[in-house]
Amino acid sequence: MIGTLTTGFGVWNPLVWLCVIAVALLFSWIIWRCGESDYDEDTEQTASYLSGNAEPAKGAVHVRAGNMYWGFTAALKSYYDKLIPLHSGIVNDYVSWFLIGVVVLFVAVILL
Amino acid sequence: MKMTTSLNRSLWVFHFNSGSCNGCDIEIVATLTPRYDPERFGVKLVGSPRHADVLLVTGPVTNQMADRLRLVYAQMPGPKLVMVVGTCGQSGGVFSTSYNLAGPIDQIIPVDVYVPGCAPRPEAIIQGVVTAIAKLERLQGDGEA
Ligand code: SF4
Repeated sequence: MIGTLTTGFGVWNPLVWLCVIAVALLFSWIIWRCGESDYDEDTEQTASYLSGNAEPAKGAVHVRAGNMYWGFTAALKSYYDKLIPLHSGIVNDYVSWFLIGVVVLFVAVILL
Repeated sequence: MKMTTSLNRSLWVFHFNSGSCNGCDIEIVATLTPRYDPERFGVKLVGSPRHADVLLVTGPVTNQMADRLRLVYAQMPGPKLVMVVGTCGQSGGVFSTSYNLAGPIDQIIPVDVYVPGCAPRPEAIIQGVVTAIAKLERLQGDGEA
């Protein structure tokens, strides 16, 4: 629908929006044309400037989601230091911990 | 493409400290003060070598800085000039016998203008910039853009 939609709050017409986008693209292109054109493609001249340091591999500078709760893990470091070695990745270990937990719970319930 | 040819003479400078004692850098700051005011000629320091016409290097080149100096030079678009401010960059100066020196600067990257002195006065630095402008115009005339 190309028609103009008029509501109590404003007006919507796709053709007007297309014109706005075309004008914005034209301005962007003009500004881009005014830029420095002396760069040699595929050389250091188009690489990121990092104070003269070589650009690290993308994986090396990846910020993981875990970084967001770094303070939390740092504050509970003593707890994690003990807990992480228990995560051996062997199912037998986990079943053993489960059984020990159940036995302790069972004994506690009987005694109390 | 340049917006107007009147901007051709503006010289944008990127300052690189390759291990100086800071004496030359203080003189560069003095050069930029209102007393000398090189900005009225369009000469100003920029924060990235990618916007610069001139690489202004102070100090001898320490081993740590040699690769960084090469990289910064490589990141400048042509035509570009290198201006050495201070005796250190020309010969090593007081640091010439240091165990940690990869310089002087012209052993790392090609140098176009030398401003001698330890440290050079602002007038000498401005004289170096004027020499750089003349050479840059010559390069642009030769079509080395
Ligand atoms: S030339 Fe002199 S003032 Fe400049 S960095 Fe070297 S020692 Fe310092």
